This record gives sequence, C-alpha cells and structure tokens, in this order.
Amino acid sequence: MINKVANIINEMLEETGQDKVENFDPSMSLRDELNLDSLMLAELTVRLEDEFGVDIFEDGVVRTLGEVIAKLEGK
Amino acid sequence: MKWVIVTGDSKGLGKEIVGKILSDTEFGVVGISRSNEESVKELLDKYPNRFKHISFDLEKVADIKELYIKQIRKIGPIYGLVNNSAYAYDDIVSNLNVENLERMYKVNVFSPMHLTKYAIRDMLLNKIEGSIVHISSVSAHTGYKGLSMYASTKGAMEAFSKNTAREWGARGIRSNCVVPGFMETSMSASLTNEQKDRIYKRTSMKKETDVESVANSVVFLLSEKARSITGTAIHVDNGTI
Repeated sequence: MINKVANIINEMLEETGQDKVENFDPSMSLRDELNLDSLMLAELTVRLEDEFGVDIFEDGVVRTLGEVIAKLEGK
Repeated sequence: MKWVIVTGDSKGLGKEIVGKILSDTEFGVVGISRSNEESVKELLDKYPNRFKHISFDLEKVADIKELYIKQIRKIGPIYGLVNNSAYAYDDIVSNLNVENLERMYKVNVFSPMHLTKYAIRDMLLNKIEGSIVHISSVSAHTGYKGLSMYASTKGAMEAFSKNTAREWGARGIRSNCVVPGFMETSMSASLTNEQKDRIYKRTSMKKETDVESVANSVVFLLSEKARSITGTAIHVDNGTI
C-alpha cells in the first residue's frame, strides 16, 4: 500500500519539477515534508480515489502519509 | 472524445445549448434533467454516439456523488460543465416559504456546486484544462419585484464562479458565467404580456433576449477561442443598463 501511494506522490513531484523522495515514512507530513500544496493534495485525492475507491478528504483532514494509508485501509 | 455536462437539457435554453455544442463542436454531451429520454429523443436520434441523457432530479444533492461515480465518469473524460438547470420560486420576500426557498437553493446552488466539484476532480484526474459555465440571470444585477430570492441564487453562483476561477486557474481550468436577460422560455411563462413588456422596455433593444444568442455565448466560453477568459460574466441581455 505505502509503495503504491509513494509511487503516485513521486509521479506528481516529478511532473511539477520537484525532486523525488527516496525514503517514505508514515510520519511524514504531506505539506511540509512532501511539499504537496492544496491543489496537489486535491490531485492526490482523485488519483488515490481512482486507484483505491476511497476519498481520503471526504470526512476530515489528513496530515501525514500514515493517515492517508489508514484512510485507504478503512481504519 | 471529451464530454460536456449540460443540466436542464430537455427544454428552453438548455436544449438550445446542447444542440449548439453538438452542431458546432466535436464534444460529446451528457445531458441531465428530471425529464425522461422522450423529451430529448430528437437529439438522441441525431447524435446517437455523442449525446447521452441521464434522468436525475437535481434536488437530490446528496446523490450527486453516486451520479458521477456510477454514471457520468463511465461515459468518458469531462471537458466542460454547463450549469443551466434552475428552479424559479418567485414571490415577494414577505411571503418567503422556507421549503420552496430550500428547494430552489438545492437546484440552483448546491447541485451546481457539487457538479463543479466532480467536474474539476475529473479534469484533475485526466489532466484536462476544462471550462465551466454557469447560467446566471440579469435579476442578479438589476432588481425586479418578486425575484429577490431567485436572484440571490444567481448572485451566489456568480461569486462561486469567480472564486473557483481563481482557485483552479493555475491548472488551466476556467470558470465563467453567462448572464441572460428575460427570454421567451418556460421560466418566464408565468409572466403576463404586460409584465413582459415592462421588463423588455427596460432593455436598450426593447425586446426579449434571443435564446440562440445566449447559447452561442455559452459555446464560445466553452471553446478554445475563450482560452484567456476566466472569472468573468458575459451579459447577453439586450443591454439592460
């Protein structure tokens, strides 16, 4: 799961001319450490929804990679 | 093929917009209205591959997510959205009925916002620089007795459009409004001839707004020709100034 999400994030970073992230950790902040702004988070949301059928922001804010994984796993 | 969603496709301005998109562009059209397929049979027969009609009541705001996931997204990538459907609850404000007002806000404001949400999400997923057009009303700019509540729904959508334009412009997604004057459609059917004449006299050109001129403006804003136009409103109202 974390690898799939990491691949999507790296694809997005690459598309916006940013450096890819080598080591992902569940504690990483989406905004501060992975450099995702609100529009990129919106794009991440639709890409994850397309892949996993879950809208991660539908019922609250998610801040870290670990929280994204928890939403996708339905926890 | 890329698709444009048009709400209120079964009559009046909506039907005219659908016809113009199908005749003047290469987009497919997903038409949404409460009416069944019979009301749009002519268009379905003429454009069997480029026109799809979905019967849906836009008062059911909470069902729009399912409408998008189960029906709209299966048709194809969304390029455009024309929020044209509207419910007219006309009365002086001292007679305000909350159920009618809520129904009007669901159809005229909440559903268009929800459709915009899913249209933009679809554009993000498919990397499409799309165009959104909301149909407003001259009543949001010039006062008419009995239209304060209706006009407020249109004013809400104009503010929404300007701000979504700002929000998504960096992704190439545009949002604009077309502001028609009074047209001879079912929306104005309850007005008497005397009331209509009074309204038309307030325009520079002293007559009703031409439906085709409004539809042409919508198709223009959808098109690549309008690629530098966003966050604005085009008034097609015979000069109500």
